[in-house]
Amino acid sequence: MRNRVREQRTQRGLSQAELAAALGVSRQTVISIESGRYLPSLPLAFTIARFFDLAVDKMFDPDDEEAGA
Amino acid sequence: MMRFIPPRLRKPAAIALAGVLFAAAWLVRGGPLWWISILAVIMAAARAVYLYRMGGQDTDEGALAGSRADERQKLLSLRSRALACNLAVIAAFIGLTAAIAVKGAWWWPFLVILGVAGFGYLLGLSNYGVAEEGTPDEVDAGHQARSPVSS
Repeated sequence: MRNRVREQRTQRGLSQAELAAALGVSRQTVISIESGRYLPSLPLAFTIARFFDLAVDKMFDPDDEEAGA
Repeated sequence: MMRFIPPRLRKPAAIALAGVLFAAAWLVRGGPLWWISILAVIMAAARAVYLYRMGGQDTDEGALAGSRADERQKLLSLRSRALACNLAVIAAFIGLTAAIAVKGAWWWPFLVILGVAGFGYLLGLSNYGVAEEGTPDEVDAGHQARSPVSS
């Protein structure tokens, strides 16, 4: 599953540590989510989407090919 | 009780308490090996200090040691403990089988470990909601009545 966490974070000029503090998770978890190694829980996915003011399905895309297109 | 202890001190305190209990057991036992109790206290204290120091680090291990893990880190810990439990059960089964094969009198501790693991698994299923599926609502009931499998 692809996500746009890194893209949105860098657009807003946030560091991984700053985003982690805002979301209430560790910096390591932000790194894992950005790299796709960890799929966040539904509540955390909603928290991330709300933080970036996007819908969850815009933030997380289950289809790699569509997201890459 | 743990809520009254600051998060970073919880795991070190648990280790220290375990060390004191282990040391007390050796002291109560008495005999020439009483000095193991001192060794146990020293090792527990060293481990507690190590965990406290690790709890301040900005790593997954530090978050777990400092009792401030987020959902991913808790999942890591849960998976690791599940793996440890599976390995312990396999080891206990091998031990039980070996004890039976050589007619050893030390078979029963392995059986106790297997029994506790089995009971713990059933307790977990019960505790975490296997029996909470609930009854189907009206729509589900209608689908079940029209199911081609059951007709």
